[in-house]
Parts: sequence; structure tokens; C-alpha cells
Amino acid sequence: MDEVMSNIIEVKNVTYEYTDEENRFTAVKDLSLDIERGSFTVILGHNGSGKSTLAKMLNGLNKPTRGDVFVDGINTKAEETEIEVKRKVGMVFQNPDNQIIASIVEEDVAFGPENLGIPPLEIRRRVDNALEAVDMSDFKKSTPHHLSGGQKQRIAIAGMIAMEPECLVLDEPTAMLDPKGRAEIISTLLRLNREKGMTVVLITHYMEEAENADRVIVMNDGEIIADDKPKVIFSDVKMLKDVGLDVPQTAELLYKLKSNGFKVDTHALSIKEAAEQIIKALGTSYTDSEEK
Amino acid sequence: MSVLEVKNLTHTYGGNTPFVNDAVKGVSFTAEKGEIIGIIGHTGSGKSTLVQHLNGLLKPTSGEILLDGVNIWENPKEIRKVRSKVGLVFQYPEYQLFEETVFKDIAFGPKNMGLTGKELEKRVVDTCNMIGVKPEYFEKSPFDLSGGEKRRVAIAGVMAMNPEVIVFDEPTAGLDPKGREDVTEIIANYRRCTGATVIIISHSMEDMAVIADKLLVMNKGSLQMFGTVEEVFKNGDALREIGLNVPIVTRVFYELKKAGVPVPDNVFTVESAVKVLEKLRDGDGNA
Repeated sequence: MDEVMSNIIEVKNVTYEYTDEENRFTAVKDLSLDIERGSFTVILGHNGSGKSTLAKMLNGLNKPTRGDVFVDGINTKAEETEIEVKRKVGMVFQNPDNQIIASIVEEDVAFGPENLGIPPLEIRRRVDNALEAVDMSDFKKSTPHHLSGGQKQRIAIAGMIAMEPECLVLDEPTAMLDPKGRAEIISTLLRLNREKGMTVVLITHYMEEAENADRVIVMNDGEIIADDKPKVIFSDVKMLKDVGLDVPQTAELLYKLKSNGFKVDTHALSIKEAAEQIIKALGTSYTDSEEK
Repeated sequence: MSVLEVKNLTHTYGGNTPFVNDAVKGVSFTAEKGEIIGIIGHTGSGKSTLVQHLNGLLKPTSGEILLDGVNIWENPKEIRKVRSKVGLVFQYPEYQLFEETVFKDIAFGPKNMGLTGKELEKRVVDTCNMIGVKPEYFEKSPFDLSGGEKRRVAIAGVMAMNPEVIVFDEPTAGLDPKGREDVTEIIANYRRCTGATVIIISHSMEDMAVIADKLLVMNKGSLQMFGTVEEVFKNGDALREIGLNVPIVTRVFYELKKAGVPVPDNVFTVESAVKVLEKLRDGDGNA
């Protein structure tokens, strides 16, 4: 029984309905999904695809209307283990200003562990570690509202890390940030995943943020319509456009070249790879004509 | 013909306090009729402070703004007239929807300008036709619409004032790709239909390459560059130094050039990239 399960989260045939007096809206439809421990998963989908509703079910903020979600084997519906579930899966939201409460950075990060009743010395260690992990140690005495959006969002992430969760679920954490802030958050998440083994579930509609994920899930209309490695997902430009998503500009370029008769592999994602593909495709026509 | 002229604009926040801060320093530029100007720069570079001067929401600490050759602060009591000539669409404009129906919300601006009756109705209907707000939405509550639709209605409210200059502060922020495409289309269409001057603050170099005629680059409160898209994007190194970059497709072309492929420096959109590469392939084949 002590054997560690390989999946930190298991979603089994889950349906979620929003209801008021007149309307009933099914946001998530009979969806199943396993999140492997230590993995980096990106969930893509346009507004209204059900991705945020799903995210909130991953730590029990939303309880499924039908079906079950298990976090480390615990059903999120069980009231007596609710806090345990929330300790294992930390959530980060879109707007950093709504998630920061204290007037000093380190006090804000300490808020979570304080509420867990952790002894002061241990809190000190956790706060220092968490700020270190998001590369914000130099700002521990700063006032959050003097920080940039990206820095504030890193503080919000540190606040979650200080609770030492096993998995972080982030619901569009970069939607309100500028490109620099977005890059800060993504590299922070990648580092947490690669170096500390943190399981990360990132919900976004910025395709380029999915490039380095282990796995990309595409949602549409409350269902999973694709689930694969980033390169495979992004080469399906037509499917992504059909569901209202766009693709990294490199993938779009290769896709258009391919439909114009260029022999390119549309799985290339990075700028270097894309350039290599184009050179290869041009190469034959080049050398042929040079020889003539 | 220049519509808007900004001369040596400086704005200082917190003057006479220890927190004094020059958000905008000595910025000058001219916007011609019918131009789309993209303003780029990272957070805190002074973009938003700059555009809030263009319709008199902020008063310059020094310098002036000329609209059709007249200083907008010449008669401070008339500043409201400037606000209908220069429309400002804020970030997340849908947060400012407030009326009971879509129609009333869009009619609010033109009504304040003194339009009534048939004239008011025509103005709202024309605007809605132009930007694709369907008549069946007119009597709906704006709060029952989806995020993308709300934004469209909020933008319609500003466009219904028929401004000569319309300024957008990150019009696509927080929208999904389809929503971003729609809003970009609405903006391009407004320019086409009205010949108005459009100023857009954006973080997306890729979007600006497609829609803008000129780019204005802000850095630490100062104007760093102002020129055509081509003139600005040719300075890739200078842009990177201030935390910005050229479009991804342009970076692919840098790599091609490095590898010895004879490609031009002025490829900023996927469309032009495909054309250039086709020519290269076919041209050489015919040689």
C-alpha cells in the first residue's frame, strides 16, 4: 500500500454543469485524464472550452457534477480530506493582484504555511526556499505593489511553493503579463519542474508556452480533442485553427510552405529548427539549379 | 496631412513629493491621417501615460499636443470636445460596460456629444454594421455576452463617436487567438471605412507587423525609435537591448541569412516570408 502511485491526479469520467434557475450549461463532458507525477502538462483551449473549469476540479475547488477526481488517490469529494487535497495541489490564477495580500513579500509567501500551523523556524526555511526557487530572494523585504506583473506572479507562485505541494496548477498565469513577465514565469515553471521535480499543469492560450512541455492537451467544447507531444500537436495547424487556437509563427510558416509544395517537416518548432528545414527544402532546388 | 502632433511632451508623476518620477520625457512625434501607429515598449516604459495625454485625460507637465493644428489645452473648458475627436479604448474596456442594453451602451458616447433621435439611432446602427455587432444583440444585456463579444461592444461605444483618432491600449489583451484576430480585423476595418488615424499599444510584434504602418518604440519614458515597420524592425539588436524583439518569422530569416541563403532583411510577416521563399525556389529553378 505504501507504493507511490505514478499518477498524482486521476480524472475519471468527469462532467461539470453550471446551473441557475433557467439555464444549465455543461462545461466539461465525461472527461478522463491522468497527470503523471513529475510531468509538465499544458492544457490549451479557447475561452469557454472548459479548461478553467477542469483546472478548478484538479484541487477540489470545483467538485464534479458526475464522475470523480483523485489526488494522490484521495477523492476530492471527501470533505474530511479537503485540506489535504489543497495542500497537495496548489493553484495559481490569472491576476497576480488578486492573490497577494500582505504588504511585504516574505510575509505574503509565509501566509500559506502560517495557516497550516507550521513552526516559525520551518516557515523561515520554506519562505527562503520558495523565494529562491522563483529567483525573488533579493525582493523579500520589498512591497509587492512596487513589483512588475511578472515579479508579482512569481511571488504568488512562491506562496504556493511554500506550502510544499506536489503539483502546481496554473490557470492562465501569464494572460495579464507583458512578454518579459511571461518569459519569467515560463522559465520559473520549467526550472521548478526539471530541477525540483514539481508536477506542473499549465493552462494557457499562448502556444509558445507549450513548446517545452512534456505533453499538450487541447480542449474544445468541454472535451479533450488532442493529447500528445508539443511537436505533434503544433504540426496539426488545421486542427488548432479549427478550434480557434493559433500556432507558433514557426509552425505556421512551415505549414504554409508545405502547402505551397516545399518539402519541410512541420514538426520543427524552434527558430533554428525551422531555418534548418527551410534550408534543406531550398537546398535541393538550389544545388540542382547551380549545377545547370 | 498631420492630424496629431505631440511636441516635447513630458509628464511627471508625484511632483513635489519624494516619489517624483518622469513617466514620459520629451516625446515628440506626428501622426498622419489614416495611419496605423503601433506603440511598443515593455511594462513601465511610459506607453499608457503617453496615450492618456492624446485626448486630454492627463495634462502634460510640459510640452503640447496639437490636434488639427490646435493645442488641445488652449481652452481647458473645451477639453471634452477633444475627447470625442480622440477616442481612447482602455485595457479591458468591457469592464466599463454599464447600460441595460447593448444599444444603449453604444449610444452613450454619441448621445453625450448631443446626438438625438434618428441621427443617434443611425449612428449606432452604422457603427454596429461596420464592426459586426448584429441587430439581434441590440436589446440584450451587455453582461450576457461572451468575453470577446463584450469587448466588441465596448469598442463599438468609442467608435460610435466617429473619432478622427482612435487609441487602443492593448486591445487584444486576455483574448483567445480567435478573439485577437476579430479585434485586429475590427480595427483595420474602422480605418478602411473612416480614414481615421489609429494608435495601438501592443506587446505583439507579430500582430504589429501585419497591421501597423509605423512603429513608435518607448523605453524608460523616452521615445527610442519612430519610423516605418521596416525601419524599426531592421534594428533587431537595439530592440533586444531594451527587452523587445523582432517577429519570430524575421528571426527565422536571420538564421537563413547567417547560413548563406540570399534573403532580404525586410521580411516581417508569414505571408511575405512565403512569397520570398517561393521566389527564391522558383527563380533559381528557371535560371
